[in-house]
Amino acid sequence: MIKITWRHDGVTRRGFLGATATVGAGIVAAPYIVRQAWAATPIRIGVISPLTGAWTVYGKAHFAGFELAVDEINKAGGVLGRPIEIVVGDSKTEPRIVVEQANRLIRQERVDLLAGTFSSAERNAAGPVVQQSGKILLYPTWYEGQSQEFFPGVCNKNIFMFGPEPSQQVWPHVEHVMKSHGKRFFLIGSDYAWPRETNKMFKEKFQELGGEVVGEVYIPFNTPQYESVLRDIRNAKTEVVFHTLTGSDTVNFRRQFHAAGMSKDIAIWTVDDEEVVTSGLGPEVSAGTYVSFDYFMTIQHPNNKIFLEKFFAKYGKDALMNTVGVGMYNAAHMAALAIAKAGSTDTAKVRDALKDLTFDGAPQGPVRMRGEDHQAVLPSYLMQVRQGWTGVSDMFEEVRSLQTVEPVPAKCKALPL
Amino acid sequence: MNATALPAAVMPAGHRLGAWAPAVVVFLALALLPVVFEGYVVYILPQYMLFGVMAMSLALLWGQTGILSFGQAGFFAIGGYAIGIGMSHELPINPAYIGILTGILVCAVTAALIGYFLFSAGVRDSYFVLVTLALSIMVEQIAVSQSELTGGWNGMFIMRPILTAPGLELPLDGDVSIYYVVLVVAAAVYAGLRALTTARFGKILVGIRENETRMEALGYRTVLYKTAAFALSAGIAGLAGALYGTHAGFVSPSLGGALFSTEAVVWVAVAGRSSLLAAFLGGVIVSSLSNYLSALTPGLWQLFMGLLFIAAITLFRGGIAGFLGRLPARRRAMP
Amino acid sequence: MLASILSVAVDAVLITLVLALAASGLAVIFGLIGVINLGHGAMLTLGAYFMWWATAHGTPFVLAVLLAALGVCLVGLLLEHLLIRHFYDEPFETLLLTWGFFLVCTEVIKLAFGTDFRNVANPLSDTITVLGLELPAYRSLVALLSLVLLLALAAVIFRTGIGIKVRALVQNREVASLLGLDVGLVYKQVFAAGTFLAGLAGALISPMLSIDPYIGNVFLIRSFFAVTVGGLGQILAGTLVGSFVIGGAETLFALVSSQVFAQTVVFALAIVLLRFRPAGLVGGRR
Repeated sequence: MIKITWRHDGVTRRGFLGATATVGAGIVAAPYIVRQAWAATPIRIGVISPLTGAWTVYGKAHFAGFELAVDEINKAGGVLGRPIEIVVGDSKTEPRIVVEQANRLIRQERVDLLAGTFSSAERNAAGPVVQQSGKILLYPTWYEGQSQEFFPGVCNKNIFMFGPEPSQQVWPHVEHVMKSHGKRFFLIGSDYAWPRETNKMFKEKFQELGGEVVGEVYIPFNTPQYESVLRDIRNAKTEVVFHTLTGSDTVNFRRQFHAAGMSKDIAIWTVDDEEVVTSGLGPEVSAGTYVSFDYFMTIQHPNNKIFLEKFFAKYGKDALMNTVGVGMYNAAHMAALAIAKAGSTDTAKVRDALKDLTFDGAPQGPVRMRGEDHQAVLPSYLMQVRQGWTGVSDMFEEVRSLQTVEPVPAKCKALPL
Repeated sequence: MNATALPAAVMPAGHRLGAWAPAVVVFLALALLPVVFEGYVVYILPQYMLFGVMAMSLALLWGQTGILSFGQAGFFAIGGYAIGIGMSHELPINPAYIGILTGILVCAVTAALIGYFLFSAGVRDSYFVLVTLALSIMVEQIAVSQSELTGGWNGMFIMRPILTAPGLELPLDGDVSIYYVVLVVAAAVYAGLRALTTARFGKILVGIRENETRMEALGYRTVLYKTAAFALSAGIAGLAGALYGTHAGFVSPSLGGALFSTEAVVWVAVAGRSSLLAAFLGGVIVSSLSNYLSALTPGLWQLFMGLLFIAAITLFRGGIAGFLGRLPARRRAMP
Repeated sequence: MLASILSVAVDAVLITLVLALAASGLAVIFGLIGVINLGHGAMLTLGAYFMWWATAHGTPFVLAVLLAALGVCLVGLLLEHLLIRHFYDEPFETLLLTWGFFLVCTEVIKLAFGTDFRNVANPLSDTITVLGLELPAYRSLVALLSLVLLLALAAVIFRTGIGIKVRALVQNREVASLLGLDVGLVYKQVFAAGTFLAGLAGALISPMLSIDPYIGNVFLIRSFFAVTVGGLGQILAGTLVGSFVIGGAETLFALVSSQVFAQTVVFALAIVLLRFRPAGLVGGRR
């Protein structure tokens, strides 16, 4: 038996030995030639954002958060005397493209680490890439929490989670919503892992508190009409709709829910509709809805005031920020802090430096990266959408908040990661 | 009945799938590429070559037989999931081989059943386009809903396989090793399809494309030939998908969706549906171009792709290959 | 029990009629002149964005709907004049061109209107009570309009001179052109009418949906199946029956199964229907 082990030649640099060999290769390789040299070698960070495709609506805040932080860091002299340079990759809202882009950023653009991807599917697509290449991925989105089943998309020592998971986003507020509106909850979500896992976690807490799930439906993506679901909600004598639809479906459902006259006597609690979606709903449809996240543009923390001033100055006064953009913002700052602490961009050193690192300047108040499972410890806000709001500055009204919520431990095979 | 009995219209000069020389040049260039380049190009080209293989499967169906399918991505995805599911099991034989074979078989059998079911009732043209579109959407939905098996919308991870043969064990986790495996498969698919299209079977398919009624009148059971072409094309798309799954390490339902299906049609349309090599290059080059433009202007690249695409359709009827193929003919026509 | 059957039936009717409205533009373009318009979704989207733009600038609702429809019609005419008219003989080419239009149009929308969700205020936010059922007023009105629109379309096609020309063309192009019919002009009129309807549908549906650059696509494939299953060229009955099979049946299946499964079943059903009734459920010979 012969055993051949091929050399791993993906990540060494030899430059170009010849002219373009084929059109295809030439096209892929061209940006590599035209890239200009920098005075002080910058630290390169690859950012994968949904700039085109179904979730374009979230892309702007997603990218802006990171860009703003990098601006601040560079103005303050960079990290280790080096500026940070962003290399953008468009995910096209497609896991297939994330595989291409993550590899491009790492192998061709030689980035030192990656940040971004938006949905869990996109993050999972990047999982094997960072696993194999030994680069770090900073993930900003609220998500379903880590469970070994989706390794290497989660429970991966190279991935850090900056967004909240259900035990932070949902659990702290279950009792309050029940007390205010009743115990008959109807669960509606998009048909994939995040809504299903979030609902599973929700029910754990909810049933312990004596609540009754009167219906649970999962809707395929891109469903334009909701008559039958609305009928079920009404017939079940629902008191609260717990809502985990995403993207344009959430807007479609909510508009039709309101048009059917149901928002008068049924409360909605959503864990999806941040600033971008709520502004898409408009004041009439969204008024009175409960929303819970780690960050809102209207939170009162002094850090947020400073943050928003800089944000509006750069992107205009109508620009939208949200939990994901702030996740990206925190990710950039914490990566910079970690690189400074580690004294290099070496993955193992940065990883160790990120563990249990606290960022005091986070817009939602100090944020800590829990070392054992790479999950951010975040605040949790329950907000209610104000009647007749006119813009993001008066969109949400605080109902209650917790400054730090320690998430449940990740369900990974081996902790610490 | 033999090939000589085929009507003359079946073999118009401009529609011969080209001589061997350009193909030899292309595949040799691709074979030399990893010697010259390193890094991302070597990593990514196998994925694009597999898109090229999927494009060839469509060219067989569309260019050769005149049946346009929007279902190729569905079969591609089935292939990807088949190898993923296969490799997550302990099997007596190399699970990657079982996965690939299962993928090909599932695709071919599905296509044969659906193809026969529809062709026998005379479903064709835009109706068939719609049916295949529905097919790829159904694959996407099933992949989403059968999450126990497929990981649902969050996708499924696939390891790189180990190439085994008596006396050989080659793990395909290096860029170069899997590059050559994919290249060999692509070249083999090209050679096989080319041989097939120039053989009697291929000529009958062209005959069906040009005039199906006439072929029926000549005694050919066109339904069977069309079904065979569809099944073969689906099997090849499944093979490409299986290799893609192991190369990318990850598959998710959108791989089977309508958007990716349309992309495959775009590759073939731009490059030229009448030539297998053009279709292959279309898959490789259009994907490379997308990648390049998206790096250059992440916000505007889709706009440029759309404009380029419209320009290609408007300026070169029958794709770029069709346009090039007509050039010598025009020159000859001049006195 | 009776009340719940009734409410299911009313839901199915509403879904059917709204889908029929979204599909009507396609029924005209695909059904009458055989252009597989993959840009139909983009035209719905464009209608919704024009609507948003007009209402955001203070245009009264009804006027804004008309302006949006005319705007989309203009874009459609431009598309037809520059590209489509050269390719009427080649169905695959028009299919590809309209897909190219979708790509370009979506990106231009992003540049012109931004990528944030937009919304059009619902002009009739109350509910009405019909047969003891509480229904959203605006949605019911749109459903009614959809029915009126389809009836009017059918009347145009069966009762007017333009209709006769179009029908002559659909049945036999050579004869129609031998009879001195300006085939190019009729095609252009039909295409323009189809895009007008798409713009109208996009504008009318916009208060019920989120407006983002991809909104029209949720209706694209459903519309194709509605039109084909019903029968190409069968503007009234075909579109309605097709929309019922695609939209209404989904509602009924969803009663006994999950939503995703209901959608899969509906597509499978559409395939089987096309096999046994290739000319559509309402179609005659073709």
